[in-house]
Amino acid sequence: MKGPDVMWYLAVAAFLFCTGALGVLIRRSPLIVLLSLEIMLNGANLALIAFSRHHGQGDGQIFALTVMAVAASEVVVGLGLIVAIARRRLDLDVDKLSTLRG
Amino acid sequence: MIAAAWICLLTPLGAALLITLAGNRLSRRGAGYLATLSVAVSFVAAVVTFAALLGDSPEHRSHPSTLWSWLTAGPLDFGLRILVDPLSVMMMLVVSGVGMLIVAYSIGYMDGDDEERRYFAYMAIFVFSMLLLVQGGNLLMLLVGWGLVGLSSYLLIGFWHQRPSAVAAAKKAFVMNAIGDATMALSLFLIIQRTGTLNFEAVFAQADSIGGPWAMNLIALGLLGGAVAKSAQLPLHTWLPDAMEGPTPVSALIHAATMVTAGVYLIVRTAPLFEQAPRVLELAAGLGAITLVLAGLIALVQTDIKRVIAYSTMSQIGYMFLAAGLGAYANAMFHLMTHAFFKALLFMAAGLVIHALAGEQDIRKMGGLRSLMPFTFAGFLIGSLSLAGIPPFSGFFSKDAILASALDHGWYGQLLWVAGMAGAFLTGLYAFRLLFVVFWGEPSPFVREHLMTGSHAHAPEGHLSHDGHATHEHAGEGPFSMTSTVGVLMVLAAIGGFLQFAGVWTPLSDWLEPVARPLVEASGTQEAVSSVLAVLLGLAGIGIAWLLYGARSSEVPRVPWAQRLFERKFYFDELYDAAFYRPAVFLAKALERWIERPLVFGSVRELSQGVRWLGLDTSRLQTGLVRTYAFAIAASLAVVTVVFVAVR
Amino acid sequence: MILASAANVLVWTVWVVAAFACLGTGIAVISFTNPFYSALSLIGNLASLAVLYLLLSAEFVAAAQVLVYAGAVMVMFLFVIAYLGGRADAPWAGGPSWQALGAVAASAALFVEVIVVIGLKTSGRLAHQAEIDSSFGRPYEIGRLFLTDHLLAFEITSIVLLVAAVGGVILGSHSREAPMTEAEQ
Repeated sequence: MKGPDVMWYLAVAAFLFCTGALGVLIRRSPLIVLLSLEIMLNGANLALIAFSRHHGQGDGQIFALTVMAVAASEVVVGLGLIVAIARRRLDLDVDKLSTLRG
Repeated sequence: MIAAAWICLLTPLGAALLITLAGNRLSRRGAGYLATLSVAVSFVAAVVTFAALLGDSPEHRSHPSTLWSWLTAGPLDFGLRILVDPLSVMMMLVVSGVGMLIVAYSIGYMDGDDEERRYFAYMAIFVFSMLLLVQGGNLLMLLVGWGLVGLSSYLLIGFWHQRPSAVAAAKKAFVMNAIGDATMALSLFLIIQRTGTLNFEAVFAQADSIGGPWAMNLIALGLLGGAVAKSAQLPLHTWLPDAMEGPTPVSALIHAATMVTAGVYLIVRTAPLFEQAPRVLELAAGLGAITLVLAGLIALVQTDIKRVIAYSTMSQIGYMFLAAGLGAYANAMFHLMTHAFFKALLFMAAGLVIHALAGEQDIRKMGGLRSLMPFTFAGFLIGSLSLAGIPPFSGFFSKDAILASALDHGWYGQLLWVAGMAGAFLTGLYAFRLLFVVFWGEPSPFVREHLMTGSHAHAPEGHLSHDGHATHEHAGEGPFSMTSTVGVLMVLAAIGGFLQFAGVWTPLSDWLEPVARPLVEASGTQEAVSSVLAVLLGLAGIGIAWLLYGARSSEVPRVPWAQRLFERKFYFDELYDAAFYRPAVFLAKALERWIERPLVFGSVRELSQGVRWLGLDTSRLQTGLVRTYAFAIAASLAVVTVVFVAVR
Repeated sequence: MILASAANVLVWTVWVVAAFACLGTGIAVISFTNPFYSALSLIGNLASLAVLYLLLSAEFVAAAQVLVYAGAVMVMFLFVIAYLGGRADAPWAGGPSWQALGAVAASAALFVEVIVVIGLKTSGRLAHQAEIDSSFGRPYEIGRLFLTDHLLAFEITSIVLLVAAVGGVILGSHSREAPMTEAEQ
């Protein structure tokens, strides 16, 4: 089955990654930041799968699955943090959560 | 004989160590006995050495002995070396003999002082140091002894360290001596450079080939500098009167009998070197003559009993320098010996007076002690007569020998002879001024209060009087330790002169001949004329003193400018203060203000400030905002990627 | 051959649709004010990614993506968003600030760089795709690789999951509840 070259997939992956990065940099709500983070991870995953197909080996897919598992764990912890912050009646705004300033 | 010499040297050191280590376990009296015993053993050992040396024939009376090699560097080798020869044995006898008497005297004088043990330890160290100086077999040992006596002097002058004047005097003495030490060290460097050794025999054997006039003059000048400093001759003399802050036995031993005569010993010992630089020798004689007259003049107006005797010491050492400078070495040593006797006697008698008057030293408060302290008066009288050079006392023989030999040195010697004669007149005058003021006439009110109300208990208990020693009860004029030793010295001062009578009976000169051959020899007529004149001038001085102070039949002439000049000690202290002290202080202050504070402090402060600012600035990066950090990461990632791509 | 070219056209069409869906939903996620909408956009993103995976013959991964990511993770997200309410910020409001401009620039730069780098440096090597057999991407293959070549990664991943679970429990426990005021912050 012919189709787009791996290059095209890589372009999509790069765009996804940069979009996610933009979201992390711009948004102030930690929830949205987490979502953007997920987008970045998915972009990486896409690149991995594309290369796996290109080389004909399954290692890239294994890596992608692992990334997915780790991303899930990270979301758990991140959401836990956000819920804890919200429970203390703090503003969900990363600019205001800056007590670690030096 | 060698063993005896080593015992003589090391016993006082051992005593000092014992006293130090025993600390409180040794009683104060015990420390005094131990110190006296050690110096007595030293004296006995010196006598044994002397007797053994007598057994040798005159040409073979030089015995070096090295304990071990101390400093070695390439071809240079300096050992712990002593030399037993006529000159060193003579000095050993004088130092240990007079030292023994004075340390015994101190048992009574320092009785009751809280720090008696420290005193006796210091005295023992001093005796050891002085013996090392005179027994040293090479110039290095001599220098070591030199420095150690300077140290002991410092420690003992400042013995009553709670008194700021004592501490200042100790520092002054040490600093001035240090100048002498420095010039001596430079001489030693020159000698080492040119001969590669410091052993006496080796250096003297090559004395005429060490170098040209310049080198020899420099070496001799350096040695002379040390001698001048140690013997308190002009221009390094201002420390001696201040050194009277120490206890009286210290003044007797160190600043009269032994340490200050070390300069004379040095010149006599290194005579072969000095003879290669005759101008320097003449300079030494000239300095001695000037000091002789100046010190005599200053002594005329002093009011502290010890200071008068101190200036008298300065003056008499001037005589010794005069003799040594003209080459009459044996005469200089003879005067050194007799001077040790009568000067120690004078100081110790003065100590008896001070002790009886609860520490008072101002002679204006004294008077009429003759009837109250006859023994002391006798001692003082014998000492003063000896000092003034009146026969048959010891000073007559030694001083006259010096004066006579001056006539044998051409016009320069004759000039110095005139100075010596003037000195004889002054000596009689100031010595008997002191005697009459203190002992003659009616007892003064002060004396009445202290000595005639039956007991000493009227002096306030426990307070630190003039020389810091406590008062206490005893029968007679002083404790036995003090009176007995003064008695011995009286005998020595009276008969010591019979050891040598110039032209007729010269055992001393013969004894010292192999070591120090004299350069001048007075003829019979010169001797006779000089002696008669000297005695007449001395008697004239005594007579005038009697008129002014004894019978009080004439007024002391009022010459205000002279009075002030003498009282200010010819303004030497002021001169040195302006020439050395003030510029040094100014320099130090300027350096502190302009260099140390801005550069050193400033740089440290600037450094710490800089680091703090850097830290503060850097901490501004820690904004605490996650977005900033993320942005930083993204931006750096972009940059780094470009860099990697470009480089690859 | 027509069948081959028709298949090609089909693949390309699917690819284009999925790719643009991906990109569009991606931008949507970071643009919406309402976090709920953002989360839903992300679900769409994940779905389009699954399609792309299928096009790359990674069937198992596509299935896992839908099941795990879209099905579990996003559901968790939606729970939390529902719990917290719709408070979120408006990203493009108030005009472009320096920070926003800088962020856009940085991301754009990254994107361009990646494309350029891939284009410049890997010209020859990315030309030929490898041939694959029918077992590529099958669960059997994945399982075999997990349990032989990449066993360590497998095990460590399980530990990571455990740690995350414990962390989640701790963070969510009630014991440390104490409302902090603005001042204490």
